[in-house]
Amino acid sequence: MADVRNGIATRAGAIILAPVGWLANVFDAPLRMLQRRTGSNGMAVFFLAPNMLVFGIFVLFPLVINILYSMTGGGALFLGDRTFVGADQYGRLFSCGSYLDPKSCTEDLFWIAVWNTLAFVVLQVAMMVAVALVTALVLNRELRARSFWRAVFFFPVLLSPVVVGLIWRWILQRQGLLNLMVFEAGGTPVNWLVERNWAFAATIMVSVWAHVGFYALILLAGLQAIPKDLYEAAEMDGTRPMRVFWRITLPLLAPNLLVVLVLTLIRAVQIFDEVYVLTGGGPGTSTLFLTQYIYEVGFASMLRNPGLASAASILMGAVLVVLTLIQLSIARRNEQRGKMR
Amino acid sequence: MSQITLTGVSRAFGKVGVLHDINLDILDGELIVFVGPSGCGKSTLLRLIAGLDRPTGGAIAIDGKDVTTVPAADRGLAMVFQSYALYPHMSVRQNLAFGLENARMARAEIDARIAEAARMLEIAPYLDRRPGQLSGGQRQRVAIGRAIVRNPTAFLLDEPLSNLDAELRISTRAELAALHERLSATMVYVTHDQIEAMTLADRIVVLRAGRIEQIGTPLDLYNHPANLFVAGFIGAPRMNFLPVKVAPGGTGRSSLTLDGSAGFEIDGNVSAANGEVTLGLRPHHISLADAGKGDVAARVALVEALGSETIIHTKTSGGQAMLAVVAGQCRVASGDTVDLKFDTSHLHLFDDTGLRIAVS
Repeated sequence: MADVRNGIATRAGAIILAPVGWLANVFDAPLRMLQRRTGSNGMAVFFLAPNMLVFGIFVLFPLVINILYSMTGGGALFLGDRTFVGADQYGRLFSCGSYLDPKSCTEDLFWIAVWNTLAFVVLQVAMMVAVALVTALVLNRELRARSFWRAVFFFPVLLSPVVVGLIWRWILQRQGLLNLMVFEAGGTPVNWLVERNWAFAATIMVSVWAHVGFYALILLAGLQAIPKDLYEAAEMDGTRPMRVFWRITLPLLAPNLLVVLVLTLIRAVQIFDEVYVLTGGGPGTSTLFLTQYIYEVGFASMLRNPGLASAASILMGAVLVVLTLIQLSIARRNEQRGKMR
Repeated sequence: MSQITLTGVSRAFGKVGVLHDINLDILDGELIVFVGPSGCGKSTLLRLIAGLDRPTGGAIAIDGKDVTTVPAADRGLAMVFQSYALYPHMSVRQNLAFGLENARMARAEIDARIAEAARMLEIAPYLDRRPGQLSGGQRQRVAIGRAIVRNPTAFLLDEPLSNLDAELRISTRAELAALHERLSATMVYVTHDQIEAMTLADRIVVLRAGRIEQIGTPLDLYNHPANLFVAGFIGAPRMNFLPVKVAPGGTGRSSLTLDGSAGFEIDGNVSAANGEVTLGLRPHHISLADAGKGDVAARVALVEALGSETIIHTKTSGGQAMLAVVAGQCRVASGDTVDLKFDTSHLHLFDDTGLRIAVS
């Protein structure tokens, strides 16, 4: 039986790979000729060119255009129709009586979004790292059906953010599943998405639920990379479980925790899709975050202002660049530390 | 110091038995070595003694006190792991102090113990380095130091030399022997390397497939192996095994016939059920004889000249491979036919079940 299965698998593999082999044969001669003419470096450029082209068109070009837009004013869409205003848009964003009081700012919504985003980032990142760590620690134990539980925690990561937003809106809306359960349990239903604090908490909870599997996976990989011998040595030394966690697990997991922390930060600053579907930024502006502000100002509002949206997005981009540089520096340090061990 | 007693100890993982009915007394202050091929259960046995694993049957006692269910930390033992298991984020000093801090020992006492271990193992210059900044040999010393500072009742060492290169292994082996001499501590040492076992052990426990094959001093095992497995496992190069027919010889003597033709007589009577036995002879107990004066003629297949001795790989006319180790350097070459002389005072006989046959 196994032989038959192997035979079928081999034939299926051959059929699937046949076009690859055919293509390799077809391109073999011209690629060899190209390599003779251009050398190894030329071939590297040849293979990288398509990717660089796509990167140029969809990332680099829009970035440059965006910078130019941020220096223009008016509602016109095309760059040629817009007037050059220099740094006025940035000036408008930063025109504030007090940055702590958005109402004193010319662009009050921008500062509301900034403070909302900041609060979201602090709370969501703290909760994400904590929940991911606890999840990874639990999933790292000798559980029954461990693979199943690992999959359960990872599945939400595979969902589209829009789907995540819709699922939780159905659960959290006034006549949703959660209120049904609260009602059945004898409680008073709550307007989860309409009350300010509950709505804000919901955005944090939903984004943690949606992404925690990914970060738990990174931490789980880190936990599994810690040699079991160390724990056995600690056991021989009579180390109490909490001391094992603080003195062995946590320090050895620190590189992974830092990666998770920075990745979570970057993602939290950019939060948009699931919150937009879940609350639409409401009630009022209580869940209005920076990316939604940029989207609203640039595309969705009646008096759209692409220049202002571009300026806000450049500022947000600058924050993300700083966070990314931190992440790269951490990754480099981890790599060096890995070599040292 | 302590005496460790294992009584009917067994360990199974599901339906797979890994250790079966292990009975062993480890004496106070002795260095006992568990040796055997990979998968024989020697490391599992060490882990059971350490308390890192629980037996599925039997009992373990230290100094007469049953510790079968006592947690590892409360057994008063210290273990040196194969990988050293040093905490990579701590300095050598912190590694040494970690276990003592767990026991809430006074700082001054911790420092004194670390200083003493560092002096003994010559690791004082590295105390503030991390394990990643040390060589394999230095890490190994730190691992031993971590065990020493705890002042344990017994040391458990799980293949501590296996990660060292050949040269360092020899020097560290000698240091370990000296350390045992100095500490007079009970040490249980696991290795798959029979040379390590022979050079270090007061007694060796040979394990195979979860069972003890033989317990004895290194020379006991070398001179009087209880069965074919021990005979083949202890001693390098490996003992030659030859099927021979045995028959009564002259008065008080037995005749052994090899290859159907060549034969020789030995002192004593050998009783074998069907007259067929396995002859075991170490390569060092075979010498080259003048033409026509040997016990068997063989063709030389390969010569390994080591300078101080020569290892000659041969094959008899019956196709039996045989290894001879001759002292010094000798002029034989592949393809030569040589006469091999057996030192019959050192031969071993085994019956068809592999057990040693006593020559009466």
